[in-house]
Amino acid sequence: MNQIRKRKPLPYLLLLPMVLLFTTFTFYPFLRSIFLSFFVTDPLGNPATFVGLRNYERVMTTSGFSKSILSTVKFALMVGVGTFSLAMVLALLCIKPQKGSRIYQTMYSLPIAVASVPVSALASYILSKYGILNQILGTDIAWLSTEATALAACAAVTIWSGVGTSFIFLLVGFRNVPDELLECARLDGAGSIRRIIHVILPLASPQVFFVIFLNIVNSFKAFAIIKLLTQKGPNDSTNILVYAIYSNAFLRGRFETACVYSLVLCAIIFVVTRIQLLCEKRMVHYQ
Amino acid sequence: MKIEKNSHIVTAAAPKRKWKERAGFLFKFLLGLFFISPLLIGFVFSFVPSEYLNNLPALQTILDNLTLDNYRFILDYIPIFRFLSNSFIVCAIIILVQVLFSSFAAYAFSFFKFRGSKLLFQLILVAMMIPAEVTVIANYLTIQNWNLINTYIGLCATSLLGGTSIFMMRQSYMQIPKELKEASLVDGCGDMRFLFKIAMPLTIPTIASLAIFLFISAYNMYFWPMLIAQNTDMQTIQIGMAMLVGTENVEYGHVLAGAMISIIIPIAAFIIGQDYLIKGMTSGAVKG
Repeated sequence: MNQIRKRKPLPYLLLLPMVLLFTTFTFYPFLRSIFLSFFVTDPLGNPATFVGLRNYERVMTTSGFSKSILSTVKFALMVGVGTFSLAMVLALLCIKPQKGSRIYQTMYSLPIAVASVPVSALASYILSKYGILNQILGTDIAWLSTEATALAACAAVTIWSGVGTSFIFLLVGFRNVPDELLECARLDGAGSIRRIIHVILPLASPQVFFVIFLNIVNSFKAFAIIKLLTQKGPNDSTNILVYAIYSNAFLRGRFETACVYSLVLCAIIFVVTRIQLLCEKRMVHYQ
Repeated sequence: MKIEKNSHIVTAAAPKRKWKERAGFLFKFLLGLFFISPLLIGFVFSFVPSEYLNNLPALQTILDNLTLDNYRFILDYIPIFRFLSNSFIVCAIIILVQVLFSSFAAYAFSFFKFRGSKLLFQLILVAMMIPAEVTVIANYLTIQNWNLINTYIGLCATSLLGGTSIFMMRQSYMQIPKELKEASLVDGCGDMRFLFKIAMPLTIPTIASLAIFLFISAYNMYFWPMLIAQNTDMQTIQIGMAMLVGTENVEYGHVLAGAMISIIIPIAAFIIGQDYLIKGMTSGAVKG
């Protein structure tokens, strides 16, 4: 009896660091962001005057806000669809292990190890006006400072850096598809495209959904690439929400505006993960 | 990379098939080269004098003028070793603290029955729902109030524990048989001794994959250290390299050389540890 009672506080003590860290650096700052969004803040980020919902009203009626939301959504779609498609092609190519397959699989997953700063460094050269891409193509386009191409160029860079992770998840999913099923489909006269659409993708649907939504959510966080490549330009066309949070708080000192933006981002991410759960419930086929 | 196929149909290897396989390999290999061509371009061009990069001359001129000047510039004018050691200190703190605290949490959840365990577990899920980009402003203000700007503690503060780590550790603690603990309790081994002497050593493979995952993500952090490391002495490698990109009149030679120096270590860690990393990434992240 005595021993049991003596052991009792231990699990709580073991969980104490977790509770303290999550409270200090996740829950408290989240609540503080909500709190600050109702005030006008001083340059140090302390609440000065209570203004209620007026910050939301002010932010959401600016044209910059709707433009930022639109860019964020466009960027998310490009990154989500692009990364998934590319990773799917690569994973389909690797579906059958062969001698030496480790070599090209490592190449396809290598971007996992490359941070967004070196990725942006490489991209800033490759995509610059005098960069290698224009010299290969014989064109003269400043990809990152032309309004029509900047967002797509940033998306391409984000896709490249995200493909590795998606490739690995899809490969695991595709390789779990039993060979017998594929063989049966083949004997029934299904060509390779139909086998992919009707056998492989449905059976790997957990990974397929996971990868699509992972990349959408990651695109909301593509801060370094925007900061280093375009700084929200040209003409604010790459001002995605995460950059708007940064520029309002740390370049303009408008912490309350940044809090409004960050809560909007949080709401969008929340909605996207809800949709993901719904899709998974409805459409995922667990083996 | 060890992702095994759960079954394999054996077919007689006709020579024709072998050639097809070889051609397939060559194609996938070349595609791989194309895929990593940004890295290869960066590597090759980091040896080309900066003034050529904006207007490439003939190939022969480039080959005749290959140079280490870009690297020399980085080593001479940029405190690269300071940046690297800052990165390593930050990575070491984050890995040690996360492994320890997530093992504590995993141990509590998988070996103890206590009131509120479900609620505390829900806490992790809720914490994982809140993205770091949303808390970054308020966290910055906290660190500023605590006068921890430009300190290692400030740099690590927000990455000392993650839901993913707890999940990964818990996954492997649940595979340790409960009888093992009962037996060692009978033998007079205390709860904490069991954790350090038996449970943690048994989960070394998981700790290894967690460590590689944390190393790559901590080494590659950008947003948070950019806010916290305001003095050059405290900057990590990513912040230092980003400064090269952000200047007016960018010298692309320096940018590329800096990028190459900064990616050597994580790429080496990835190639050596990819089996562990992939196992850690894919275990438990997706059901099915």
